[in-house]
Amino acid sequence: MSKDLSEIVKQIDSDIHSLSSVEIKQKYLSKNGIVTTLFKGIKDISQEERVEYGKKLNDIKNLLEENIKRRKEEDISKGTQHEIDPTAPFDVNSKVERRPKILDLKGSKHPLMQELENILDIFQRMGFDVMESKQLDDDFHMFESLNFPKGHPARDMYDTFWTQDGFVLPAHTSTMQNRALRKLGPPPIRVVLPGRCFRNEATDASHEHTFYQIEGIYVDKGISFANMLAVIKEYLEKYLETELEIKVQPSYFPFTEPDTEFVISCPFCNKKGCTTCGYTGWIELMGCGMIHPNVLKAGGIDPLEYSGFAWGVGLDRLTLIKKGIGDIRKLRDGDINFLKQF
Amino acid sequence: MKLPINSIKDFSDISIELDELLHILRSKIGEVEGYSDWSEMYKGLYIAQIVSKDDHPDADKLSVYKITIKEGEDIQVVAGDKTLEVGDKVVYVKPGNIVPLTYKTTEEFVIKAVKMRGILSNGMLCSEKELNIGVDNTKVMRLDREATVGDTFIDFFNFNDTVIEIENKALTNRGDLFGILGLVREITAAKGVQFHSPEWYTDYKMPSIEKEDLLSLKIDNQAHNLCSRYIGVVMDNITVKESPVWLKSILIKSGIRPINNIVDITNYLSILVGQPLHAFDYDKVLNKDPKKEAHITIRLAKAGESIHTLDSNLVELNSNTLVIADSTNPIAIAGVIGGLDTEIDSNTKRVILECANFDRFNIRKTSMSLGIVTDAVTRFTKSLDPNQCLPTLKHAISLIEQICEGKLSSEVVDIYPEISLPKKISLSISRVNTHLGVTLSKEEVSTILKNLEYTVHESKKEDDFLTVTAPTFRTDITIPEDIHEDIGRIYGYENIAPVFPKREVKATRRNKIVSLKSDIRNILSNSGANEIITYSFVSKNLIERSNQDPNLAYSISNAISPELSLMRTSLLTSMLSKAQENIQRNIPTFCMYEFNIAHQNTNMDRFQLPKEQWNMSLLFTTKENIFDGSAYYQTKRYLEKVLDTLAVDDIEYNLVSDSTERDLPIWISNLLETFNPKASAFIVHKESILGIVGELSGDVISNFKLPKYSGALEINLEALSKLEGKRKSTYSISKYPPITQDITFNVSSDVKYKDIEKIILDTVNRDKKIATLECIDIYAKEEGNKSITVRVTVEHEDKTLSDSEFEKIREKIVKRVNKRY
Repeated sequence: MSKDLSEIVKQIDSDIHSLSSVEIKQKYLSKNGIVTTLFKGIKDISQEERVEYGKKLNDIKNLLEENIKRRKEEDISKGTQHEIDPTAPFDVNSKVERRPKILDLKGSKHPLMQELENILDIFQRMGFDVMESKQLDDDFHMFESLNFPKGHPARDMYDTFWTQDGFVLPAHTSTMQNRALRKLGPPPIRVVLPGRCFRNEATDASHEHTFYQIEGIYVDKGISFANMLAVIKEYLEKYLETELEIKVQPSYFPFTEPDTEFVISCPFCNKKGCTTCGYTGWIELMGCGMIHPNVLKAGGIDPLEYSGFAWGVGLDRLTLIKKGIGDIRKLRDGDINFLKQF
Repeated sequence: MKLPINSIKDFSDISIELDELLHILRSKIGEVEGYSDWSEMYKGLYIAQIVSKDDHPDADKLSVYKITIKEGEDIQVVAGDKTLEVGDKVVYVKPGNIVPLTYKTTEEFVIKAVKMRGILSNGMLCSEKELNIGVDNTKVMRLDREATVGDTFIDFFNFNDTVIEIENKALTNRGDLFGILGLVREITAAKGVQFHSPEWYTDYKMPSIEKEDLLSLKIDNQAHNLCSRYIGVVMDNITVKESPVWLKSILIKSGIRPINNIVDITNYLSILVGQPLHAFDYDKVLNKDPKKEAHITIRLAKAGESIHTLDSNLVELNSNTLVIADSTNPIAIAGVIGGLDTEIDSNTKRVILECANFDRFNIRKTSMSLGIVTDAVTRFTKSLDPNQCLPTLKHAISLIEQICEGKLSSEVVDIYPEISLPKKISLSISRVNTHLGVTLSKEEVSTILKNLEYTVHESKKEDDFLTVTAPTFRTDITIPEDIHEDIGRIYGYENIAPVFPKREVKATRRNKIVSLKSDIRNILSNSGANEIITYSFVSKNLIERSNQDPNLAYSISNAISPELSLMRTSLLTSMLSKAQENIQRNIPTFCMYEFNIAHQNTNMDRFQLPKEQWNMSLLFTTKENIFDGSAYYQTKRYLEKVLDTLAVDDIEYNLVSDSTERDLPIWISNLLETFNPKASAFIVHKESILGIVGELSGDVISNFKLPKYSGALEINLEALSKLEGKRKSTYSISKYPPITQDITFNVSSDVKYKDIEKIILDTVNRDKKIATLECIDIYAKEEGNKSITVRVTVEHEDKTLSDSEFEKIREKIVKRVNKRY
């Protein structure tokens, strides 16, 4: 343990001129800050030197705290110092041409939200309600009510974030299925549930830990797999503004039975093969299936009387494709130069 | 899961082309990740024999070999492996062909005839690694003496095959499809042909033991709930050696490295039926056991126990870990990985073969907590049929007898207290048809299910019900809907025509928040503002820089990084950091907005879940010197534009520094210090606070390096949605021209403009008169006073007002204002 604090004092002297007060606080006084760490090391100082060392350290700490306080006050004093009249349309002594006005800038709606509005509009025209998804939920809604008992291996497919309080950040909008069934039941229930989802995965040009999904639920008497095909196809054809060939492939989700993956002919190359469809002519778009009887039961609906289907489709990929955006991270980095194109 | 196509004909009579097979797999079974034609990959490779060997004259590390693939024709090859001997059989690549390891990679390596240090090398001799069948790259691979010189490597290794890789995710509830047998069953049924499992797979009889002096094997299962079946048996007289070519071939095609005949046989059965097996060295078990007996115990690990696993790691066990132990110590982690101390090696003479069924939930827990994922884990977590343990073990025994000369030398100890019985399920044909949207007859349904080896019970033709028994290997089948899926898949989803549901003409509910957001989006995007979307995750530092309380934030226990470890407490935190970035991008003036949900960890809803409220945040900043006064006003201008367009009335703005409000909602009180209290206001409607708007606090501006002229707001959309469009008309349609005059009021500086406005309106708006007001100027010459000039326009419903009439009104107004202030 070095007892020489002069190096640190020198460092502080230069930092005070280059760093903001919050950065100073972070660097020196936070939990792992330099000064805090030195204080923790005080026990390793010899008995004789400890008192003086401690005093020196305290002086440095006080100096930093004073500096932070003074600079905060200085910063605050740079703002408006008189109490304004919040009810007035402009401040006192504002010249006519320098008063508040809506500026002639290029405004925009976020591309994701444009697509979401478009999709919700289609579903509302098709007779679906809209209910938005939660962003912090519990294990029951995210897993148990969807037929994933505790410890179920299929839970591993969802790289789920948890808060330290044990809440879950939904990894799919299906987290809303139970609520939607309970709130909108008894059937007929037709609802789309858009929302923000989270998965613990590394971010790159095509992967994000934060993304949007749109869940759909249709429950009524005598609802069939054939109905599911028709409804999803109709939505996609309206959305993509073209006729599509469709097929479904077997898949597995604990909350649907049968469970499938919905695949469409590539609308961008008419099945000729392009980068969007990976030269296969087909695009796998979403998981869908007939709602599992256990899920209906958990939602207070008698599976002997009613049946239904559900799907969950991601919004981000469609938006990237439709808007010609090459990097998914651009959607959430708030770059105005990027956003004002839309 | 890898499927070598040639394996299909080992179990089924169907003939099938690749295209049809791929179609069946994709449309009825799972997803195909890809396939590779091994006859292409191994083209131009031959079995060769070393004829002569010489040192390379100019290179110490090279040897010059003469090899032959056809009698009388020698080929000269230079190789780095100097240990080959005359007579050795090796794999030779003819010039012009690709090294298999590099096949279909970006760096395909085509062998050419080249001089190596002056000596011509007419091709190449391959290592295991270069052949893509092993990891050894230190020497040229030697083949068995029986290999026929001149054969192609493809023929020798039965690589005239195509291997299809099937995506595991789609099969994750189907343990049976993690074996070739299960896949062939489905493919056969998909072709419309009845599949018959091989006889050995359904033969549940105990094997007869011929040997007399049996070896002792005790098995004690202390954890029935985690191990529903455990079978063990000892085999003696084993010769451990390399496996025969056919066995190595199928393993390699399945992506498994051959090790020795015993291990290879257990791995082979695992890929064949999806049932993992394990082999222990019997003598090592005996010698290691403190009591020198073969006494296997299935139990949970005890505190402090650890084991050296086959991959040479020392693993600390926990009390949830199920282990296979000898009388005292663990010798394997059950269903996960074996122990190093009882490993099969070339000296092994006697083995204990284990075939068991372990609880999938516990296997998953163990695998996660110890961080070990093996093929056995993958299979056990899919749920396997305990009934297949005995047939699989017997098949392994017979292969060991054939390949390793082994002899069954103990009782077959089978601990299986609760036999898994086949499930009888009653189907309603009409429900099958409504559920799927098809019109299948009872016969058609029966045929599909029989082809999948369901037992279909007799029923009257006219009965709607059909009782079937699902085979026990179908652990995924529990309810009729599970069988509906089988019927739908095998019948073919592609044969189901889309049909719209019938529905009544009922209006949907309007989601007020969704439409409010859409309305505001229209207004703001037309007002030059840009919508942003940001992460919900922020850092502690970002919250602190925003002058908000990080202790209010939910903390992510498995965060990607410290920068993304907290849930934001207000939308403005993320917005401030995005404003900083845009200023750094040199955008001089901008207004941005976001709709989202922020969380405060003390703010719960009535279900005790985190309260979720839709808010809007907006931030305006400019580094161009274009406005006078506080940024509060410009920010409020955007808010008023929104409120006015939405026809929201009766909004008041109460200065934050004036406020005596104590019971602020938590999300508002958390925001207070983000703003300059002297230049910010609560947005209030009839006593309830909708949000806050104002100039950002000077230190926040400095923390984010924003221009001095920076304002922001955050408002509760749920409260706002209740106020939208409630405006009533106050417009008078008078035919008579209005009269306009500017009135200046000299008042103390704390008088509010709204109060003056109210006095004017209260004074004018009566007796068929109505006023419209416009603030022309607010001017303060000295401290304590200001003058407010208002342009007052008055019209009367029935007449043109005269100047004198207006003068009276003006006097009344001025008198009232002076009296008040």
